[in-house]
Amino acid sequence: MKYISKATFFHRLDPRTKILMSLICACLVVILDTPLSLFSLSIVLFAVFLSIKPPLSYIRIIIYLMGTTMIAAVISQGFFYYFEPRTPIFTVVPSNTRFFGNLTGGIYFYKEGVIYGAIQSMRIFSATLLSMVIVVSTYPSDLILGLKKLGIPEKLGFIITVSIRFLPTLGEEAKRILIAQKLRGLRLKGICGALNGFRFLLQPLIIDSLRKAKRIALAAEVRGFTGKRVEIRSLRFLWADRVVLFIAFLTMLFVIRKMFCP
Amino acid sequence: MITIRGLTYTYPEGNYPVLKDIDLDVEQGEFVLLVGATGSGKSTFLYCLNGLIPNVLSGDLVGYIKVNGLSPQESSVAEMSRIVGTVFQNPESQIFMLKVEDDVAFGCENLLMPREESIRRRDIALKDMGLMDARYADTQNLSGGMKQRLAIGSIYAMGPKVFLFDEPTTDLDSKGRGEFLSIVKKLKGEGNTILLAEHQYEDFLSIAERIIVFENGKISNGSFDLKKMLLYKEKISYRKHQCKIDTQTAVPVQRIFFREGSEPYKYLQVQETEHPPANAPIIDIKELTFSYTNKKPVLEDINLEINKGELIAVCGDNGSGKSTLLKIMAGILRPDKGKISFFGCVNPAIEELIGKVGFLFQNPDEQLFANSVEEEIIFGPLQLKKNVDKEQYLKFADFDSLKNRHPQTLSRGQRQLLAILSVLAIEPSILILDEPTTGLDYDNLCILFRIISMLTDEEKTIIFSTHNMNVKRLADRVILLKNNRIASDEIYK
Repeated sequence: MKYISKATFFHRLDPRTKILMSLICACLVVILDTPLSLFSLSIVLFAVFLSIKPPLSYIRIIIYLMGTTMIAAVISQGFFYYFEPRTPIFTVVPSNTRFFGNLTGGIYFYKEGVIYGAIQSMRIFSATLLSMVIVVSTYPSDLILGLKKLGIPEKLGFIITVSIRFLPTLGEEAKRILIAQKLRGLRLKGICGALNGFRFLLQPLIIDSLRKAKRIALAAEVRGFTGKRVEIRSLRFLWADRVVLFIAFLTMLFVIRKMFCP
Repeated sequence: MITIRGLTYTYPEGNYPVLKDIDLDVEQGEFVLLVGATGSGKSTFLYCLNGLIPNVLSGDLVGYIKVNGLSPQESSVAEMSRIVGTVFQNPESQIFMLKVEDDVAFGCENLLMPREESIRRRDIALKDMGLMDARYADTQNLSGGMKQRLAIGSIYAMGPKVFLFDEPTTDLDSKGRGEFLSIVKKLKGEGNTILLAEHQYEDFLSIAERIIVFENGKISNGSFDLKKMLLYKEKISYRKHQCKIDTQTAVPVQRIFFREGSEPYKYLQVQETEHPPANAPIIDIKELTFSYTNKKPVLEDINLEINKGELIAVCGDNGSGKSTLLKIMAGILRPDKGKISFFGCVNPAIEELIGKVGFLFQNPDEQLFANSVEEEIIFGPLQLKKNVDKEQYLKFADFDSLKNRHPQTLSRGQRQLLAILSVLAIEPSILILDEPTTGLDYDNLCILFRIISMLTDEEKTIIFSTHNMNVKRLADRVILLKNNRIASDEIYK
């Protein structure tokens, strides 16, 4: 999943706004604890996600992810919900069944478990949507500049940029190493094979990365990198940013008041 | 512009100096070519001028160095970078930003130039380096030649007066090399001082004013003269192979590399009397099409028959599909359309070809897994439960004395040879080599030729890609790829 250039409202927002907005939403995800409120938050975030015009494949991924998380969380929590009070919806194994019943104390499917599972899965869903909105709608360099303006050190920003730049090549490299192993007869099937492959993958990968890191460091030195920079790229904090942040703050205040000052 | 007196340098872990008592003066606007075998001290010398030595790479540096009034011993690398710009061999590791125009401005931003000045310099550099059309492109998607141009562009924007190039064309194809040459000419035309270290320096002979030959950390210095040049070349490259030079026949620049009587030349001669190919093709490709993801095809309508015992060079510019074709021939990639049969087996999975096909990737470091040279060679045979005469393979590349060394501690050229040997050790019927000569200096190149020549005697099928014209001539069949198709397929008998 990566940045896609489009002309949408969220693409135009200042990265700082998006970072602050995501922090507020992250707080909401934690604070909100009723299925209805989290459902509303998920719907709003999903609408925001659709508004950045993501490709169909991204939408498919998010729906698939949501579906599987929801089903897995509801089923597992339904069976294994531990807190009291709990109300069984139906019984799978009654407690008086011989052996299994005695062993497990009965297997029930609890209503509270279903609700708890739904809440947790919607939290995961909201958090995922939030990060996807930022990644897809913000150019990475702008995002890093935004982080720097919000106070992260220049050198850390540089490390993040270089990581974004070189991570894909690391994946390619690992792939080539695995193929080279295969062609030299190393069996990679099964757990033993995978462990074996991993053992012989790490050494060339690390050594090559160290060599590359040295080359990159020297190249950065001769380009005068010291950790202090005057950047050309600039950010513009517009009216839209103020409005979005204002609404986000207001929502947060409202929620806090509603939850903590009855 | 540059004054050096009594420069001697020893790396921290080294026992003897890499540079010994070097004196040199370079005038402003001069183009100086630095030549010499791997490890002769060329790169180290350049690092002494841009301040990487002693500021980043410590060690024992003695002597007087002044570049436009600044001494690297007293100034930081960042201060030196205002005067001295350095471009390295691998364009990949010199690009930091995600967008072309951001990367061009990277250096200016580091030098804390005012924003408007950085923008002005960035735009000039984009225009002068012909990067204007690509200014918003992702740096990852550029071709090798474009990446090197971008690396130069971002140095150019910083406005140095001296340009240092450390083997800048090693990773470039002929097109990229041509582009590079025109940029260097432009830089020289603007009155910049240029020092360029390179193995394949034929391209630069026409513009170099001076050639400095490095040998064991010392320099022999002289003004540019082709005849003298040939003598220098003789001295550095052919020192192990006593052969006569005939300046009359050697004058055409293209022929400098493999002159008559030289060891590779002998192999070229051998190629003229070739073995007849066996009847059934060992690889048969019919109407093959291949594309990565759903984009434009990288290979289209490829038809090829490869016979046993053939020695084939696959040529073409970067992006023409050379590597892809080789990977398909090794079963690493499978065609979208069409079919490829190996030994009569159609579109086999890679697993079916293990032990039959040997493949060498471009970067040897991705193919060395073991803890010693010896273990590396027996790695494949051990997995495949084949017997192997490891001594024989060690002898091929004179690795007898190195057999207990860790592969990653060898030199780049030696690592390349070891990677080839370790693929050879599984005794494949087809050997596929992707750019096997990159990074090899003359001596290691001779070893590679020796190995290839021996394999052709054994009727092994060898397919290799290259953009080195001289290496291409080694083959008895040359397949040229252009615009993702086979443009020509010529057999030299």
